[in-house]
Amino acid sequence: MANLARKRILTVMGNQGILIAFVVFMVIFALASPKFLSLDNLQSVVRSSAILGVMALGVTFVVISGNLDLSVGSMMSFSTIVVLDLHDKLGPSLAIPTMYLMTLGLGGTIGFLVGYLRLNSLIVTLGMLSAIHGLTLTYSGGKNMDIDDKAGTWFSFFGQGEILGLPVPIILFVALAAFLGVLLAKTPFGRKVYAVGGNSTAASFSGIPRARTVFTCYLISAFCVATAGLIQASRSMGSQNTVGQGLELEVLAAVILGGASLLGGSGTVLKTVIGVLILGFIQNGLLLIGWPFYIQYVITWIIIILAVWLDISVKRGKFWATI
Amino acid sequence: MSTKTLLATAVTATVLMGPALAMAEMRIGITQNNVGVDSYQTTYESAFIAAAEANDEVRAVVLDAGGDVARQIAQVDSLIQQEVDAIIIWPTNGEAVIPAVRRAHNAGIPVVVTNSNIAEQGFDFIRSFSGPDNVTQGSRSAEIMCDKFKDMGIENEAKVVQISGQPGYTTAIERAAGFEDRLPEVCPNVELMETQPGDWNRERSQQVMEAFLTKYDDIDGVYSGDDNMGVGALNAARAADRDGIIFVGATNFSVGYDAMAEGEYWGSIYQSPVDDAEAALQTAIDILEGKEVPFLNYFDTPKITQDNMDEFTRPVF
Repeated sequence: MANLARKRILTVMGNQGILIAFVVFMVIFALASPKFLSLDNLQSVVRSSAILGVMALGVTFVVISGNLDLSVGSMMSFSTIVVLDLHDKLGPSLAIPTMYLMTLGLGGTIGFLVGYLRLNSLIVTLGMLSAIHGLTLTYSGGKNMDIDDKAGTWFSFFGQGEILGLPVPIILFVALAAFLGVLLAKTPFGRKVYAVGGNSTAASFSGIPRARTVFTCYLISAFCVATAGLIQASRSMGSQNTVGQGLELEVLAAVILGGASLLGGSGTVLKTVIGVLILGFIQNGLLLIGWPFYIQYVITWIIIILAVWLDISVKRGKFWATI
Repeated sequence: MSTKTLLATAVTATVLMGPALAMAEMRIGITQNNVGVDSYQTTYESAFIAAAEANDEVRAVVLDAGGDVARQIAQVDSLIQQEVDAIIIWPTNGEAVIPAVRRAHNAGIPVVVTNSNIAEQGFDFIRSFSGPDNVTQGSRSAEIMCDKFKDMGIENEAKVVQISGQPGYTTAIERAAGFEDRLPEVCPNVELMETQPGDWNRERSQQVMEAFLTKYDDIDGVYSGDDNMGVGALNAARAADRDGIIFVGATNFSVGYDAMAEGEYWGSIYQSPVDDAEAALQTAIDILEGKEVPFLNYFDTPKITQDNMDEFTRPVF
């Protein structure tokens, strides 16, 4: 009896290992810095994590479907630069949908290559990483983009606005997470994503359209990237061509930290959100504690390893692996 | 054909070709770091080409390494093969290009390094470094900030934070060192509370500033390694409604210039890619003409503040 109860607790905890790790780190940071848990600080961390977070939501779909997306960083630079440039040429109400269409076009291209042509996603998106960077540079002529009239446009709403005291980036992040969470967990499409990622061949034999599912996952990812670019552009009202550089690995780290398997077939939107928050709070907590920054890179890595270890330990009920 | 016509043709030819023959043409090759990656480098390239075209005695071979060390090394080798008279290099990597620079030196071709210097062990193989003096830039930023504090009468209690460039980059290290050394000399009672990197990135610097604002209730000044990061910090202060902070940057960007015009950003260091390009070309020409050229040939990067900004044109980048 007692054994059964213990097993049940372990199972429940096993599913929430990453959440436990998250709480542990929050407590440690709160003890180290009195301002860490202030409402202002929590809000500003979630707000600045929103850009990374929105991108991670889309990549979660791609990863669960058994593929990778390493192009999201430069795709985000692309959408940021495009929307800033078009803002002054077409006005915000036309610039935003145009930017979404162009970004979806890039996502569709990747989706077609990986889904319908069955090319290796690592190679396709790694290539796209530099191809899109080149596209962005060609588009902008290498120049920084800035909105001319920063005060006289409602474009700042997406990055700097507030609704009922809540910053808009947070609202966008939460709304998109809720929508995509339901899409993944509660709809036939969501189950197809898991099926394709879990066992692509079995899924095909069961009549699940593998190509179309993968294609749609990349479209979702591109949509999320466009939203991230929109927030980014609106938040700083100007940008370099390299604004998203390196984000693809941070996004992937957040998704994997959240527990999605690189091999596909597992992961949830909520866990990705927690992964994103862990990364955001580590960065913020280390800044508040004020350690010399060279060591922060090392500590960030140690914390990620600890989180993954804690997660896996809770899952198997012990700290060490048995051979 | 009559003798008269022949004579006329000969005379015409001599008149036309005379000047061309009299002037020895200088062939100067340049391999740049990564044109197109930012506005500074893009402007630098067009200014260089314009300066070379304006000078009849110069023929320029303009190459771009696209940020790739291997390509840059290949470009230096190809310039050596072409037997150009001088090579200007904007190093993609201060260490890795040294062997190529050495080959040029051994081939008797003078090498000028532009914008950012190569590592010290390569100094024997170059004739001159032409570029900005980042240490001086850092100390000038400290002076701008201190002068402003004195105007405000808070030079004895002011507290500042620093947002530096990408860790490990020479420019970032030198500017920070210049600032940190000079500030206590001019304003001994101003406290530099903390330094964190903004990685030359506006968004990252905004996040760093948000953390600073949470952590410190009292911040009087922010020094950023360039204006791009400075404007990120300014955005954070604006969003948090923290007024009265003195922002000083370096490498005046157009966004920084605009923020200065709006009265929200106090000052910076004016570094023009046009001056940078022209200085590099002039250094190479001076060497070829046998003039005495200093080994560290800095071009001037003056202070710019809200007070004197009308003397400067708005930066193009």
